[in-house]
Amino acid sequence: MTSWKEKLSDKMDPEIGREADIYETQMELRKQGRLDEKIFAETRLRRGVYGQRYDNGQRHDGIRSQELEFPSDGVTKGPETVWDAPGMQRIKIPYGGVTPEQMEALADLAEEYSDGILHVTTRQDFQLHFVHIDDTPELMRRLAAVGITTREACGNSVRNVTACPLAGVCRDEVFDVTPYAKSCSQFLLGHPDVQDFGRKFKIAFSGCKEHPCGLITMHDMGGIAVKRIEDGQEKRGFELYVGGGLGAVPHQAKLFDPFLPEEDLLPTAQAMSRVFARLGEKTNRARARIKFLVAKLGVEEFRRLVLEERDKLKEDSRWKDYLEEAPLYQETPVKEAAPLNGQQRPEGFEEWYDTNVYRQRQPGYAAASVTLPLGDLSAWQMRELADITRQFAGENIRTTVEQNMMLRWVSEADLPDLYQELKRVGLSDPGAGSIVDVTACPGTDTCKLGISSSRGLANEIRKSLATKFVEIDEAVKGLRIKISGCFNSCGQHHIADIGFYGTSRTINSHKVPHFQVVLGGQWTENAAAYGLAMGSVPAKSIPKVLDRLTERFVQFRQNGESFQTFVSTVGKREMRSMFEDLMKVPSYEQAPSFYADWGDPREFSIGDMGTGECAGEVVSLIEFDMAAAERIVFEAQLKLEDEDYPGADKLGYEAMLEAAAALIKTEFLDVPNNPETIVTEFRRRFYDTKLFYDKYAGGKFANYLFRRYESPPTEHSRDTSHRLVEEAQLFIEAAHACRERIAEAMVPLQA
Amino acid sequence: MELQRLGFKLFVDDPAKVALENFVPIFHSWIQKQIIEEHLLIDVHNYGHVRQGPGVLLVAHQGNFSMDLGGDRLGLFYYRKRDIDGSSLERLTTILKTTLRACTLLEAAPELAGKLRFKTDEILIVANDRLHTPNESATYQAFKPLLSQLFAELFGEGTFTTEWREDDRERFAVTVSANQSVEVGQLIERLS
Repeated sequence: MTSWKEKLSDKMDPEIGREADIYETQMELRKQGRLDEKIFAETRLRRGVYGQRYDNGQRHDGIRSQELEFPSDGVTKGPETVWDAPGMQRIKIPYGGVTPEQMEALADLAEEYSDGILHVTTRQDFQLHFVHIDDTPELMRRLAAVGITTREACGNSVRNVTACPLAGVCRDEVFDVTPYAKSCSQFLLGHPDVQDFGRKFKIAFSGCKEHPCGLITMHDMGGIAVKRIEDGQEKRGFELYVGGGLGAVPHQAKLFDPFLPEEDLLPTAQAMSRVFARLGEKTNRARARIKFLVAKLGVEEFRRLVLEERDKLKEDSRWKDYLEEAPLYQETPVKEAAPLNGQQRPEGFEEWYDTNVYRQRQPGYAAASVTLPLGDLSAWQMRELADITRQFAGENIRTTVEQNMMLRWVSEADLPDLYQELKRVGLSDPGAGSIVDVTACPGTDTCKLGISSSRGLANEIRKSLATKFVEIDEAVKGLRIKISGCFNSCGQHHIADIGFYGTSRTINSHKVPHFQVVLGGQWTENAAAYGLAMGSVPAKSIPKVLDRLTERFVQFRQNGESFQTFVSTVGKREMRSMFEDLMKVPSYEQAPSFYADWGDPREFSIGDMGTGECAGEVVSLIEFDMAAAERIVFEAQLKLEDEDYPGADKLGYEAMLEAAAALIKTEFLDVPNNPETIVTEFRRRFYDTKLFYDKYAGGKFANYLFRRYESPPTEHSRDTSHRLVEEAQLFIEAAHACRERIAEAMVPLQA
Repeated sequence: MELQRLGFKLFVDDPAKVALENFVPIFHSWIQKQIIEEHLLIDVHNYGHVRQGPGVLLVAHQGNFSMDLGGDRLGLFYYRKRDIDGSSLERLTTILKTTLRACTLLEAAPELAGKLRFKTDEILIVANDRLHTPNESATYQAFKPLLSQLFAELFGEGTFTTEWREDDRERFAVTVSANQSVEVGQLIERLS
């Protein structure tokens, strides 16, 4: 056999096989220059083939910026994306359900095309890194042979449909959402009505309202299982939400329907897709998610349009075909149910049992979490875990949004043996869903947008807490830490008890990795509240911040209150004061380690950056003004906390003006202090010239200021003011980045 | 038989003497100097938190280098990712030479002075391509003459044995065991 295409021809779904063939042809056309790079980029993204850090052929090696001379001969796979540069392959796993056979195939692919590592994402996907694009068609065929498609894993389409990993075995669920998540995923995959979105569309399902597993309120569309009695008959349906999302500025989803009957689920999703495709933003990527459309139209008008659209749809048998089977959906355990009673318990078992085992609603069965540090497991571990799954759980294993895996339908009597087997393969860490189980996006390790090393920090925190896990106070054990490498929130920092997202600061011409500390998010009740940034701390001081916050929580917690309530009771000013001293950065000479990121010995800042006399003065002034902007935005947060929404809005706006004026002063020292002049000058000098443009986000952050200036709010609500304050924080971060770019650009001029 | 994506692993003599994280700055310094001939070195990743994973990985366009933890044994594993020209024997020799050179560089790293030594009496060969080199007897039979030729040059006729382990889930791999362990540098000389 000369190719997998030939070898697997009778095992692949013909349609998925044809997809891979079409993609391979498109690759050839692109190589020949007969397909535009932007079109090709979207084409590959819709097949899960993503770019990766350094794929523009540039990498700073700690001393200088190196040109990586890939042998691509000018061929690109997208704008500024070199063909031969390694990339990432995302693999969709609907509702996280994966079989042992699929696990083995994934392990083979990780070894042969990637780096031998499988990474579980916060949306139940797998990711393989360092994959060469030429290998991707064969990789897709090998996945197709075991029933997996990468179609629409990225790009402007319906992404992986997620669901609570306990669906079907949960003690609190209203009903098992698995068949609905599966049908929704299959129905929308490649559907003509989901091909013309301006941005991605994420769907999630949860079996209950109280617990966080589905994270419904942070999704574009989310359904919570509900039942009601109609004409004496129990009827299934969904409390349907729309327009949620994290990203740079998080939005809580709005209630679309308190009870959407099950038969209306798929037609409503289809109608919603059509409305989104028709009316959603297409040109301004930064405002193209459905959350912006819902915010613009208002949920009532959006609902009216969707229902109107639904009425016009041509009947599709797939809407209802699965419904008869849905209530009967059942997974098959491999062993008889038996209680954990009298079996010998190996060392470490109790600790693992306490945090990683969930007793199913079916007596005698349990679900066991397999904690994956940083969401990673090796190909060998994956293969071994496939065998362990077969032995103890049959076909029943799922990925989780906390970057772990979960074996279901394990006979309780088998738990000690299961623990021993997991221990043998290095997968028996306790602490699933606890403070040790830190979630982190790929960050600077592989993501093009990463600012600071989220995985480096997560690993540091994880290692440090794991050594003292047994002694950690119970109140602290249950906290969630989530880390993103930038403001985009792939690590879900907004919904953590303690969240961090990566930023950078320049101190005397050296760059220093920082993290914004985000407090007050709520993981429970399907991610019911989002936290706010409290201040940016050097990356190397974050573990100390964590120690202080948790120590204070243990010391001053009242009557078993949650961390979120504690933050709210203590107040943001006092919370910030707990670590304000740690926000300072020691000089490069005093502590050079502050100028490198966690797990990466390269100097973070550009070591050869110079500072001329003129630049030095301006930099000093701008630093002063930027500090003022940061202070004002913090005061805005305090107003928000006091429920003074107009006050929060006013200060958030002022903070943006202050940061904009700081930049203007680098060119026009005597800029008058009035909004009109500041906005005009800022637009002329920094927006129209694209100096303020973020490499990936473009003019998005500048628009936050323009929008607030041009359309001041007529009414103030918690939602609108919260958003404005978030936007102000991001505007300030963008101003810092802009200032750094300007300083870098000045160096060659002075040389 | 299409032999392209092959790899060699040399094991560390006394793993207790070296900490895995020590290899992170060393590999970064290799990128700064682009120290490996005919390779574009790209990035470094520490997967020390994962059992039997790539340990500390140095990603290159042509092939990856790692202080690998596979089989729970620390060793330098180099495997080729992109095709190279030449006969099968020439390719094998080129890949082995690259592996040995990486080992000598590590042994010479000042950060590891006196702590790191690679054993040469046991070398693992892995074919990272289940399509063209399936883990089956026929592959071993086809591969054996090549290995005999290569390792006779390296160790001398009749001084080594080859062992293949049948496991259709794992990649095709052969362990070559020699009578004695010599310096890595000597092996490079013998291949020149």
